[in-house]
Amino acid sequence: MEEEQQVASTWPPPPPFWKAFTPENVSRIEALRKEAAEGSQLQDSSHLRLNALPHELRHLQPPLEPEDGEWRVFGAKYSLKDELPHLEDGEIRRLFPDPEERDQDGKHFDRATILKRLAKSLLLNFLELTGLLATSPEAAEEKITDLRDLFINFHHLINEYRPHQARESLISMMQSQLDRTRAETNAIRDAKDKAERVLEGLSSLTVGAHSNDVAPEKVDFNAADADAWDILLG
Amino acid sequence: MGDRLTQLQDAVDQLATQFIASINYINHHHSLETLGPRDQIVVIPKQEADQQEVDPHPEDVFRAAQVELAQDLITKEQQIELLISILPGLDNSEQDQERNIRELEEELKVAEAQRQEAIKEREETLAKLDTVIRSIRRP
Repeated sequence: MEEEQQVASTWPPPPPFWKAFTPENVSRIEALRKEAAEGSQLQDSSHLRLNALPHELRHLQPPLEPEDGEWRVFGAKYSLKDELPHLEDGEIRRLFPDPEERDQDGKHFDRATILKRLAKSLLLNFLELTGLLATSPEAAEEKITDLRDLFINFHHLINEYRPHQARESLISMMQSQLDRTRAETNAIRDAKDKAERVLEGLSSLTVGAHSNDVAPEKVDFNAADADAWDILLG
Repeated sequence: MGDRLTQLQDAVDQLATQFIASINYINHHHSLETLGPRDQIVVIPKQEADQQEVDPHPEDVFRAAQVELAQDLITKEQQIELLISILPGLDNSEQDQERNIRELEEELKVAEAQRQEAIKEREETLAKLDTVIRSIRRP
């Protein structure tokens, strides 16, 4: 009891096994992992589980996943499967059709329509609520529940859409990275071509320099050098 | 400023706050009525008015505030609808997205290889240029 209260009231100290993570221990377990991976012909040694570890290395191996898929941290329950709770679990009326019945061909126009409808319903219900409050306040309770359900439904639909938006952001990030890489490649190629042209010019000049007067041409070399270095370094 | 979904979510929360604020305003600033012929409206001195549960605003101020609150509600609702219609990727299905991501991944690999190649070519040209320049400077 006393211990529980302490945990709830103060930030708990770090678990004692943090002391086991010394550089020597870390490199030792890495060597052991590699050895075991070679023994069992596995490519990736990072996920391998080692049995019969020496005592001081035991904490360097992460524990197994909880068998029932749930665990508790700081008094809150977490589960391996991070699922959006169903509306029905919270005793909220669901105000939109099943995912199977809407969004034909996997597109999301229906979702937008439903959201817009919900937004309009919110306004209408609020108007009704103000009217009820003016005429018969005791009936307002039910209307407030309606409004609450509408809001929760709205948020539920938004949260359902989050994975979709995450993928969408990933696509746009990849696209911009692709554009960046291509632009960089082109810039490098341009600089290289320019340098090669300078090189060609230089070689033709060298031929001329030997047959003609050397001194004035030499200035040109230096200028060409400088240009070339500018291009290459800049 | 978050992503579109968060913006939408915030807008909906703001709408809820506006609902409450509107009711709160009306509840606190409506005019007082007499229920029977013998009732009298007590006039409260100005400095105490703040502590009262109901602090009647003049008729015209009250009306104007109501109109403003109502307009704000409509504006917010329209903002929400706008945010809904510009949600990213409404016309992409999950399969479209996955295909898209896979294609981009391939293209990225190719582009990266090209970049490495270009860098190598640049290094080679640099070395070539270096030797040429060295050989020129000597005589």
